[in-house]
Amino acid sequence: MRSIWAVAINTIKQALRIKVAVVFTILLFVLLPALGITTTGDETLKGRLQTFVSYALSLMSFLLCILTIIVSIYSVTSDIEQRQIYTVITKPIRRFQFIMGKLLGVITLNAILLVLFSSIIYTITIYIPRFIKASEDELIEANNQFFTARASLTVPEVDVTQEVAAKYTELNQRGELPADMPRDEVIAQLTKQAQLAKRAAGVGQDLLWEFNNVKPLADSIFIRFKYDVSVNPPDSQVWGRWFVGDYQFFRYGTESKTPIYDEVHKHSVRTFHEIEVPAEVVPEHGHLAVAFLNDPLNSVAIIFPPDGLEVLYKADSFTGNFIRAVLLVLCRLIFLACLGVLAASFLSFPVAVLFCFVIFFTASFSGFVIESFGFLSENIGAVYSYSLKWLIQLLPQFDKFNPTKFLVPARLISWSLLGKCALLMVCTKAFLILILSLVIFSYREIAKITV
Amino acid sequence: MERSSTTVLKCKPAGVEQKMKRARGDKRHEMIEYAVETFSLTKIFSDWWGRAKVYAVDNLDLQVRANEVFGLLGPNGSGKTTTLKMLLGLLHPTKGRALLLGGDGSDPRINSRIGFLPEESYLYRYLNARETLDFYGRLFGLPAKIRKMRIEMLLDMVGLKAVANRAVGTFSKGMARRIGLAQALINDPDLLILDEPTTGLDPIGTRQIKDLILRLAERGKTILLCSHLLADVEDVCDRIAILYGGKIQTQGRVRELLQQTSKRQITTGAISDKAVERIKQIVRDEDAECEVASPMDKLETFFIRTVSAAQQKAQPTSGAVSTTKIGDFLTQHEAVESVLDKLVSAPISEQASGEIPATEKVAIESTKPKADEQLLSKLTEPVEKTESEAAAGEEKIKTEPVESETQRQEWVGEDILNKLTGGSDALSRNKSKTEKPQAGDSGDA
Repeated sequence: MRSIWAVAINTIKQALRIKVAVVFTILLFVLLPALGITTTGDETLKGRLQTFVSYALSLMSFLLCILTIIVSIYSVTSDIEQRQIYTVITKPIRRFQFIMGKLLGVITLNAILLVLFSSIIYTITIYIPRFIKASEDELIEANNQFFTARASLTVPEVDVTQEVAAKYTELNQRGELPADMPRDEVIAQLTKQAQLAKRAAGVGQDLLWEFNNVKPLADSIFIRFKYDVSVNPPDSQVWGRWFVGDYQFFRYGTESKTPIYDEVHKHSVRTFHEIEVPAEVVPEHGHLAVAFLNDPLNSVAIIFPPDGLEVLYKADSFTGNFIRAVLLVLCRLIFLACLGVLAASFLSFPVAVLFCFVIFFTASFSGFVIESFGFLSENIGAVYSYSLKWLIQLLPQFDKFNPTKFLVPARLISWSLLGKCALLMVCTKAFLILILSLVIFSYREIAKITV
Repeated sequence: MERSSTTVLKCKPAGVEQKMKRARGDKRHEMIEYAVETFSLTKIFSDWWGRAKVYAVDNLDLQVRANEVFGLLGPNGSGKTTTLKMLLGLLHPTKGRALLLGGDGSDPRINSRIGFLPEESYLYRYLNARETLDFYGRLFGLPAKIRKMRIEMLLDMVGLKAVANRAVGTFSKGMARRIGLAQALINDPDLLILDEPTTGLDPIGTRQIKDLILRLAERGKTILLCSHLLADVEDVCDRIAILYGGKIQTQGRVRELLQQTSKRQITTGAISDKAVERIKQIVRDEDAECEVASPMDKLETFFIRTVSAAQQKAQPTSGAVSTTKIGDFLTQHEAVESVLDKLVSAPISEQASGEIPATEKVAIESTKPKADEQLLSKLTEPVEKTESEAAAGEEKIKTEPVESETQRQEWVGEDILNKLTGGSDALSRNKSKTEKPQAGDSGDA
């Protein structure tokens, strides 16, 4: 252990003294406060806060990722290329200890920098409201929609398989199926249509959603939604009448012990909005209904996109959420450190950096990649599902565990989410990568061939 | 002054095996017969297609006995360094096996008893000298106090104490070499593997390394030396192997390989011409040829004397300060050292730094009573110049079989003394006197 720590300390010294880490640190020291001053968002306090946190956190995370890749690769490859490893590895240290030391050094350095910069971001965020002397209304909005951690309940996509199958059979019997379309494609289109129908409300029609286990901590709950419309109204705004209350009341007409929220709002289309609903409408059993009526004042059908409706309620503080967000970044950095070490264990510096960047950027868009390959899979079939699919699954999903995605809309990063991230990214993928790099490094020839 | 009138007599025949008598230190680690042993060790470098391209090392069976100084010689590219790399596990042998201290060269338990100096000092450029040694000390898991003590001693020994806080990247090649040597010694190794240890070093550093090697050998350590600086190898090695094309061309004891058994050499103090004539007569009676000359200083000795004088005047230098000190922990026998380590684990920092001047004092004091011995060594040394170097080394040890090592160290001190007390005069006289006999040099054999 002592020798591992010696290597780790040396790695940290290296990163600091060859000034890689220093450059990144100075960059962040300058950029973060600058961002705090220059970002204005949509001119509201909330907008300003969201923009700052989003940019600052992304910037920090991105720069630290790059730093991790470079330092982890450089500290191993430079030792091999400049041959300091000759004198190190011939000391009583096993090769895996050497690699573990390097890794420990990189992770420790990252953890220190991460704590430093996230504290700066946190402090700036907390001080922005005072700095710009926000009005009372803006402060309330920011407290409700930004300085909080809200749990989110979403509506699952309605299962329409049977409906679609029936429709298909019907069309088939009537001979109305398009001749040049394969069955899969027809089914896919029908499914899309059926699901859209479940989310659409024509003029005067209503939609009802149900939510279970709603347990708000604060005085308010929030309905977050986005309208899509078939035809754009003249001022790009539509009317909507919203009801929130006991599900039993809406479904079966039983008497409700809790009040029912009923208000009409006008909102612009194609952007997210929130309406605040007093928490007293939530029944004790937590079975909540949200209903929407396409107001007759409108002349267009309103469609809610798949992620277009959520119920939000406060579940934790901003600080707790911010800490978990930082831990998500740490998981990412640990993975990248292992990846860097793996690449360095058999590649030279430039190649290893290239390799890691490819993985890093792919992982940053892994959701998209997996999805797009998912579409391909039906045609490519077996080859895909037994080879490429697994490789892609091995990539970490940086976008799925992207902290800004949670902090900007003040969404709760639950401990279970963090645990899942740590389990997948660190305990499984990073661990496998580490084992692989230890094996490669233990059996490779350290010395260069010189004759 | 007496020194300059030394006379050398060279005559035939016969010489005596001497160096084998070297006093050896404790032999606790000598359960194993061979410190290094290889069994048909082979390294083939193949091309991309896996076709054998170069036999860097070819069926090498090398045996380095425990407690010997072994020299691995050979021209560039003869496979010396490749052999070392295989011994240490930096390269995997294509075939065969290598044992270090009876174990595998990549086993930490074995590594903790090995010191290795690669062909160039590959150091972390961003660390300073002290940090460098501290890093390596930590790798050996040395406790902080012992580590600190050894670092200070080693820095002192390699003469880099004054620049200990400078980044190693700014060091000259020789200075880097010194740090490289220090890192190889920090664990007080049983087996010291040195690849071209003296490249880039000034003559004082070279001399010091040679002294060190002899000292360590005295303590029962094994040293495997890889070099093509033949003079250095010859001075210190018990046995050598000459490698060419990855194969051992010849190996054996340096004495046996180099000795001119048909010659003898006698070195005397300043004797009268009359006496010389008588000796010549005796030699003629033996039916042998005889040649008389005054010995020359080796350039090495002269150089060391000059630099030492400058150091005495405390002229500033940005480079390494050449010393002839050897770290105490390297020269003491192990039993003593473990006691020392225990003592040292008491409050240490002052004690460690205080220890060094103390040693110096002892060294200086001990010079005086041994004046005669020094004189003797002075007399004998120049022989190396006038006669074939090999035979000279032999005879020198013959004259003073016991205290060869300690004297090597003290010469410098005496040289300084000479210089200060008008030694340069003596030197010029020395030159003029040697001119005459030199003419007869060619008629040597």
